[in-house]
Amino acid sequence: MEAVHLDEQPPLNAENSFKKYESNKKGAITDIERLYQAVPQLANVFKIKGKIGEGTFSSVYLAIGQLRGGHEEKVALKHLIPTSHPVRIAAELQCLIIAGGQDNVMGVKYCFRKNDHVVIVMPYLEHESFLDILNSLSFEEVRNYMFNLLKALKRIHHFGIVHRDVKPSNFLYNRQLQQYALVDFGLAQGTPETKVDLLKVIQSETQQKSCTYNKPLITLESQVTSPTSRQPVHHSATKTANKRLCSISQTQIKQGHKRKEDPECRSVQRSVFGERNFNVRSSAFQARSTVRQPRIMDIPVRKLSVKKKTTSVVNNGLGKKTASSTSAKLTCDCYAKDSVCSVCLSRRQQVAPRAGTPGFRAPEVLTKCPNQTTAIDMWSAGIIFLSLLSGRYPFYKASDDLTALAQIMTIRGSRETIQAAKTFGKSILCSKEIPAQDLRKLCERLRGKNTNFDNSAGDIQVNPSQEFALPAGIGNASDSALQTSKKHMYQKQSGHEDDGREKKTTQKPSDLKGWDKIPNSAYDLLDKLLDLNPATRITAKDALLHPFFKTMKQ
Amino acid sequence: DQKIKSKLKNPFLKVEDRRCHYRPFYLQLSSFPVVNYSNPRPCSPFDVEKKNANGQKQIHNKQRKPAHSDREKGPVQVPAKHKRKKGYCECCMKKYDDLHAHVESEQHQNFAQSSQYQVVDDIISKFPCDFLELRENTPKVKRRKCSV
Repeated sequence: MEAVHLDEQPPLNAENSFKKYESNKKGAITDIERLYQAVPQLANVFKIKGKIGEGTFSSVYLAIGQLRGGHEEKVALKHLIPTSHPVRIAAELQCLIIAGGQDNVMGVKYCFRKNDHVVIVMPYLEHESFLDILNSLSFEEVRNYMFNLLKALKRIHHFGIVHRDVKPSNFLYNRQLQQYALVDFGLAQGTPETKVDLLKVIQSETQQKSCTYNKPLITLESQVTSPTSRQPVHHSATKTANKRLCSISQTQIKQGHKRKEDPECRSVQRSVFGERNFNVRSSAFQARSTVRQPRIMDIPVRKLSVKKKTTSVVNNGLGKKTASSTSAKLTCDCYAKDSVCSVCLSRRQQVAPRAGTPGFRAPEVLTKCPNQTTAIDMWSAGIIFLSLLSGRYPFYKASDDLTALAQIMTIRGSRETIQAAKTFGKSILCSKEIPAQDLRKLCERLRGKNTNFDNSAGDIQVNPSQEFALPAGIGNASDSALQTSKKHMYQKQSGHEDDGREKKTTQKPSDLKGWDKIPNSAYDLLDKLLDLNPATRITAKDALLHPFFKTMKQ
Repeated sequence: DQKIKSKLKNPFLKVEDRRCHYRPFYLQLSSFPVVNYSNPRPCSPFDVEKKNANGQKQIHNKQRKPAHSDREKGPVQVPAKHKRKKGYCECCMKKYDDLHAHVESEQHQNFAQSSQYQVVDDIISKFPCDFLELRENTPKVKRRKCSV
């Protein structure tokens, strides 16, 4: 089952979800009835027991079916929102087929469709609510959890899938059975080498042409929806999809220049590589600009777009040349200064994928870096690890991207964040310098079980002896130098044995559950997952080989 | 061609691409976030404390209480009217204010019944089905003969 995109909402196990929906029993029952109506074949195969999750793009139900062998089996039925594009649906299925079914990646058993209603049948894994168990896990359980999460990520990254929404509610955990499942490829994107064909259709940003100035409007592609255009399919489905999507690409849809997120900081946007915006001229400095901006609704926006042929698809009558020449005119001296002006604010907005959940977004996502890789999932895994070590969930709580970035700076340091952002082409200016925190001290203090240092008030700062002077230069060279020196940061500390094992001593009260002896390797791995530079951030493959897991079976 | 400049107020955060091709984006906060250690577990250290009516600090703890036994049924609430779900339809490339209304619209229905779903069907056709049909579960459809 999937609790999809319910930000700040822990996953629900079936029992609890029934509780949750109990108050709305009538609603839930009509939902089940509606599902039977929408996809009548379901009634021949499944008894739908109840709704166990609801997200922006799908609802998940628990159902029971009979296997050919005769015994019953519980399944999760994921009913996708009927506004999903068929190519996206097919891409999600492809991810489940190609990567799923092993190494803790959810697989797929079957799929039903009637018109625009698609229901994916998956094995049901009863699972815990992350929030409920967070502070009762033993340290060893945390280690196993992370190991199994990284195993799932290694697998999907191997196939060139960027999940984009790694968070506890998308990583099902059954504590008793020690079973795990990474779920929900509804936001997935492909790397340039992806082995999932249909993710290639969902374009990668690097091949994207920059969008140009134009009047914001929403055009409808009438030819696409014409029911009479039922042509016999001569070529492969993928090609058809490509062709169709190419025609879509000529239609541009405008997104607001300031998308608000709701106070519960739920992310409902499912932006896709190649999502294109019109430039929006700011009205802030231009009273009543002639460009009419439609009122931006705070709604989930999912945009599907297309891999465009390099032989340029007409982009609303304006090609890239126009765009760059326009930007040349838009120079000003606000760069890296504490000011903005009518010139820089009139430039078009950069568009980059942002889909996911705010508190789990990597810095390169928050700063709209167009080239995002599988490293964004590793950052999210680091945020989960941070929750596990600190006992806090959600760890970050931000209603918008820059607030999330400010919170990251509070933990990882402003200079460090600025330095890393330079390597991916972003300039960050921060009015306040905030030192990086020592991860061990931070987590121990937040867990409230600090045995190793005095718990005085005030911010904990990195011990000066362990602080690294940042090289003045920028770029990868200096950054890797920084990495190398960081590598030994935790090994240098004394007072903690890094044996990578939970020591069994009979004198220890059992309620410590290993939390009194956390090896340095744990914080070293956390540091590498939360590497601010995506180019040097640890990969899933390397993380599994990290000393933190050295006693575990690979 | 007058340039109108405006200074960002502290504390702020400003992000821009180093090539200056795009519009900078920025945030001006009343105060920069700080790690709040006094929030109880499992609350976020960035949770802002709200004061309740008595002026006491209050942090909403979302941790659920252990589930009651099934016999203890709470008061059954009358479900609120179905909220209109706003969103964006990828098929019609159109924003909608009401999901159900949009899905039933002619435009969307045309798409729903089109061959666009071939890409999905091609995948479905490769699935083996290891479930049995539960004939007895098939809803009995009352068919009336329409004798005109």
